[in-house]
Amino acid sequence: MERKNNSKRRAVAFLDLLKPYIYLFPALGVIVVFFLGGFILALIQSLGYFPAIGLDDFTLNYYKEVLSDPQFLESLGYTLYIAAVSTAISTVLGTILAYALLKTSLKNSIISFLYKIPIAVPHLVAALMIVFILSQGGVMARFFIKTGLITETADFPAFFFTRNALGIIIIYVWKEIPFVAFMVYAVMKNIHRNLGEVASTLNASERQVFCHVILPLSMPSIISASVIVFAFSFGAFEIPYLLGVTYPKTMSVWAYYSYISSDLMERPVAMVINIVISLICSCLVLIYYLSTKKYLRRWD
Amino acid sequence: MLMSNVFYKLIVVCMVIVFVLPFLVLLVWSFSQSWPSNALFPNELGLRGWTYIFSPHSKVLSSLGLSLLISLLVTGIAMLICIPAGKALGIYDFAGKNIVEILVLAPIIIPTITVGMGIHIVFIKYGLADTVVGVILIQLTVVLPYGIRIFASIYKALGTKWEEQAKVLKADFWQSFRYVTLPFLYPGIVSAGILMFNVSFSQYFLTFLIGGGKVVTLPVLLFPFVNSGDRVVASGLSLIFILSSLVLMIIIEKTVSNRVEQTEFYYL
Repeated sequence: MERKNNSKRRAVAFLDLLKPYIYLFPALGVIVVFFLGGFILALIQSLGYFPAIGLDDFTLNYYKEVLSDPQFLESLGYTLYIAAVSTAISTVLGTILAYALLKTSLKNSIISFLYKIPIAVPHLVAALMIVFILSQGGVMARFFIKTGLITETADFPAFFFTRNALGIIIIYVWKEIPFVAFMVYAVMKNIHRNLGEVASTLNASERQVFCHVILPLSMPSIISASVIVFAFSFGAFEIPYLLGVTYPKTMSVWAYYSYISSDLMERPVAMVINIVISLICSCLVLIYYLSTKKYLRRWD
Repeated sequence: MLMSNVFYKLIVVCMVIVFVLPFLVLLVWSFSQSWPSNALFPNELGLRGWTYIFSPHSKVLSSLGLSLLISLLVTGIAMLICIPAGKALGIYDFAGKNIVEILVLAPIIIPTITVGMGIHIVFIKYGLADTVVGVILIQLTVVLPYGIRIFASIYKALGTKWEEQAKVLKADFWQSFRYVTLPFLYPGIVSAGILMFNVSFSQYFLTFLIGGGKVVTLPVLLFPFVNSGDRVVASGLSLIFILSSLVLMIIIEKTVSNRVEQTEFYYL
């Protein structure tokens, strides 16, 4: 009897041990098969193993080919430039907006709904709207012509298909400021409620409260928001494909053109570019996390 | 003090104007009949764009339907499997947890084009390419990480004390989930539902690549309009796109959250 109970207890304990794996199984299964599987297949194909077109030797030649291509550094630089500038602007302005929202203490007003709308707008639609406004035939150019500041549409500065990628950056910034503000505002509100009064009882000036209490404590959410924005804009495809300059292309657009090339031997090249983007992106995110680790002390 | 208050209000108002103004431009474009290239306002308003959009041969309504079907299925399936996964990550300590956490973060960091192009050949081999099922499967990997992270943080905050209480009161597994845990999950269901639906609904690249141009969702239909084509039609399409995702968001919020007080969750 005693023994039977014991073994039953052991079985229950064993089942408890398995529980988290059972709970994880379906979701993790999907991620492992389709995400990890996709990544590993890209890796294998980048090493030149591609039996479907008669390539069955592993080789690093495609990596050599891509890394020695003069387009590589230019493309990487262009991609990094777009991602870094959009992330920096969205993070700074998003944090300022979050703080301003906190200060104006708009509780239920329509403003707190309106500023969140761009989060729900797809990037394609955002691109379309901003093209309508900023292109040389757009609303802004027409406005300047009407007011006589410029005489013809060609005088209006080009925002799209240009090397400086201003139009692309504006689209990203328009989409991501509200996103950063949203994530940061939720945390700031919490901090303010809990610690704002303590700080002002201690006679801290508004500036001191911001610099020594609110900003450091909302750092984790600012960092995590900017990582998401960076990773997205670094790997994004549609907008640079539609509105980017022909040379240099961003890494993702370059990969796509190699992928759809009628020359099937270009497929491994596309995969090399893909793997390089993924590695660079993960490394940058890792470096960023490590270098900002000291700000990641949580207060709760 | 007063000065600074005005200053902050100014920042907020300016930004909100910048966020909202583009929609007005879209609205005016969609109702314009003719708009010469040098005029600031259209000189004639009309319903040309909308008539075209709602005519059967434009395929707008069928792709809207397909988009909704795919995104609702993706959101529904993801919801069912990310709640238990979130529980595992939020409550339990187990061997390999670090690896699982990295795997759950990775799809947010690694660009979708890498995964899409890598797996495309297998999808072709098993007949999943160019099908709705294939598109749903690949979209699941993109939305799942968001849902799992939301539920992991909810379960982490919740702990096990409520479930233990239910156990003491002899509730079975289903009763304990239905009456004890589920109410705590409502805010998470709202925010995860909205977030995952949006990510799926606006997904272009994977739908285009895996769907092979044969699964025509709204983003696939809209794509060529961004730098060429009829601006009147493009504006109408975009408005339909935005409106349907807003309506869906409101429905999700209303159906779930009138059971609980709405809280402001939108984790990532």
